[in-house]
Amino acid sequence: MKIRFVRIAVLTALGAVGTIALSAQQAPPPALVTNQELLAGLPADGSRWLTFGGDYFNQRYSPLTQITPENVNRLQPQWTFQTRTLGNFETTTLVRDNVLYVTGPQNLAWAIDARTGRQIWQYRRELPPNLTACCGLVNRGFGVLGDKLFMVTLDAHLLALDMKTGAVAWDATMEDYKIGYASTIAPLVVKDKVIVAVAGGEYGIRGFIDAYDAQSGKRAWRFYTIPGPGEPGHNTWAGDSWKIGGTGVWVTGAYDPEQNLVFYGTGNPGPDYHSESREGDNLYSCSVVALDVDTGKLRWHYQFTPHDVHDWDSTEVPVLADIPIGGQTRKVLMFANRNGFYYTLDRTTGRVITAKPFVQTTWAKEIGSDGRPMLLPGHTPDEKGEITCPDITGGTNFWPPSYDPRQRLFFVNAREACMTYYAWKPEYNPGDRFTGGAGQRARGPDMPVYGALRAIDPATGERKWEFKYLNPSPIGLLTTASNLIFSGDSEGNLLALDSRNGKLLWRYQMGSTMHGTSPITYMLDGRQQVLVPAGTTLTAWALPQ
Amino acid sequence: MRTFGPVASVATVALLAILGAGLSAQQPTPAPITKAPAATNPLQGDEAAIKYGMGLFRSRCADCHGVDARGVRSPDLTQVWASGRTDEGLFLTVKNGVPNTEMPANARMFDHEVWQVLAYLRTLAAPASTDPPRGNAENGQRLYRANCASCHRVNGVGGRLGPDLSRIGSARARDAMVRRIRGAVEDFRPGYEPVTLTQDNGQAIHGVKKNEDLFSVQIMDTRERIQGYEKDKMKEVANDTKSAMPPFGTDRLSASDLDDVVRYLQTLRGFDTAVK
Repeated sequence: MKIRFVRIAVLTALGAVGTIALSAQQAPPPALVTNQELLAGLPADGSRWLTFGGDYFNQRYSPLTQITPENVNRLQPQWTFQTRTLGNFETTTLVRDNVLYVTGPQNLAWAIDARTGRQIWQYRRELPPNLTACCGLVNRGFGVLGDKLFMVTLDAHLLALDMKTGAVAWDATMEDYKIGYASTIAPLVVKDKVIVAVAGGEYGIRGFIDAYDAQSGKRAWRFYTIPGPGEPGHNTWAGDSWKIGGTGVWVTGAYDPEQNLVFYGTGNPGPDYHSESREGDNLYSCSVVALDVDTGKLRWHYQFTPHDVHDWDSTEVPVLADIPIGGQTRKVLMFANRNGFYYTLDRTTGRVITAKPFVQTTWAKEIGSDGRPMLLPGHTPDEKGEITCPDITGGTNFWPPSYDPRQRLFFVNAREACMTYYAWKPEYNPGDRFTGGAGQRARGPDMPVYGALRAIDPATGERKWEFKYLNPSPIGLLTTASNLIFSGDSEGNLLALDSRNGKLLWRYQMGSTMHGTSPITYMLDGRQQVLVPAGTTLTAWALPQ
Repeated sequence: MRTFGPVASVATVALLAILGAGLSAQQPTPAPITKAPAATNPLQGDEAAIKYGMGLFRSRCADCHGVDARGVRSPDLTQVWASGRTDEGLFLTVKNGVPNTEMPANARMFDHEVWQVLAYLRTLAAPASTDPPRGNAENGQRLYRANCASCHRVNGVGGRLGPDLSRIGSARARDAMVRRIRGAVEDFRPGYEPVTLTQDNGQAIHGVKKNEDLFSVQIMDTRERIQGYEKDKMKEVANDTKSAMPPFGTDRLSASDLDDVVRYLQTLRGFDTAVK
């Protein structure tokens, strides 16, 4: 024992000498990640990207201006990182102090040198072999605070990893994956809490949003997206349907510090298509819920699609901004929904300011003054099938939109497609799929299938411009203060456009769709970088030196 | 060994049953199986099996593969036999799933249920014909060589502009083949959509489309040259509405000749490429 103490003392002394010797040559490492940094969003110096949406408002708008519409066609690849595994990125990368932190498929994660693309550490979680994890073995990114990274897992755990080593600091079980629970969401870190949620809407789960203490991993609160007996909204579910009504949450919300609220879009009710067993509005499915950060209590909700029968999760990314509408500044929440409507809501009350279709939409005439959709007849799936636009994947989906606060424009990758929806009575078996129907592609001259990047004025819901793709594009967006927008198409092209008019400025064939991912941008040694995940690769782009 | 075989199996089954009972509360993961109980589907064409198979397919598979099995979020299943998959291989895929993808294992499905699903799928791929087989395959082969082989390939011989027909007998029903030969086009198969590129000098290149994005198109032209072209260097890239295959009406192919050709095509069950 004594000998060991001595050795430690010697090592410590050596370490101290080493530190002193080094400090003359290099800057001290930055302190731990603070709440102030998270609150500040994307800084003007481009030194970091620390939350899913870049900032708490999920705008994905960078102040960086080195890359411009004039020079973007000179971008050059700096390096490419390959995951060397099956499955694709569906993530938003974080960056701090010249190190990238990125989650991949199969519950892999890496810290990567932003200068060279070389791995610093890799984390791999052993996955249970009988995992059902619906809809892709993917992960949408890290959250970060202090010296810890937070990631959810496909077997419904929340992990804290040591930022410097990737070692697990704590491991919290959210729910039992064997009965259909999974998790893919990027954690949102607010104050001392890590906010996460579960997927599994197609497996008869009862969805929830959780907050965990960032230090200890202890659960601070849980908000069930389906109210239990005695709670308001419980009577919007017939019989026992609430117990297996789905309503997962798998896309990161937004945070409004002023109101101390987080806003999350919620998933579809289950069974997806055959809905006789769940008569009622099915609160809080297909909604946005505003929750108090400290308690998880519901402040308000708005339901986009009451009693959904088309699998239209409202798990799109809510985007916040303060914008002038009708002569006054309104605190709004912008939401392009899978159901085909674009909404601007008042985020202090949840009331609709404007709601307009942004793709071909046949199931509702408009959104009424009471906020409810005015339904058109003939759009309840049955055994014979009925045709509705949009299709199952929807007018858009989980891939992040972007908002440019200078131009006051909301950008979204929209999908034009219709579907024949069928329904039949399902049987519930714990852990099995529980959808009660299915669809098939509807084809016809009046139902063209294509995609488009659309710019929408949030004050009116009107379209300013569009850039058409050959096919629907499942790709998240990035805008910059130099009037650039980065996107991609489903054929694997990385695209840079002028955000003022939708003019294509530059393209590069990445070899894989950037499915569900978004580029990020940051500064490295004085040069602006654009980091693009596509398939199994990450590629950094910059202008020539 | 032979003598003890069945005894050992019984003991193994009993042991597994005991272990299974003990483990069932923990939901054991059945190990992937490596061999299907039969090489070909014992329930193929069985009416009751097809009916049950439809129910199973709709409740377990259609959400991803589409009610018509032509794919929504997952692959088109109506082309799997045409692309060379076997009953045995498909049985294993259904049972074991595809590791590291969204295709789950269905270890708890009974063997006969898997065969029922495949029997149903087979009806979507090649709807059974009620007509008795007719025609002379030998004459059909002669007619095929004279009329079809310049564009279609069978067992490694023939053209490449149209789809390879080496497995057509197990992929398409008689009625579907008849309709297609007579000129009906319901849908172009991906990779065979007719396209015409017009160059700046006005010259046209006809072919079938192999791939396309916003900026380029990759084709096989009528001389079987595979080549990519940038759209901004072309005057026009037009999808043709008419198939590259000429219709064979009764003036070109009599009813009895058609019977013969189809009879020949029905004999084509696959091409063994193994070097002997």
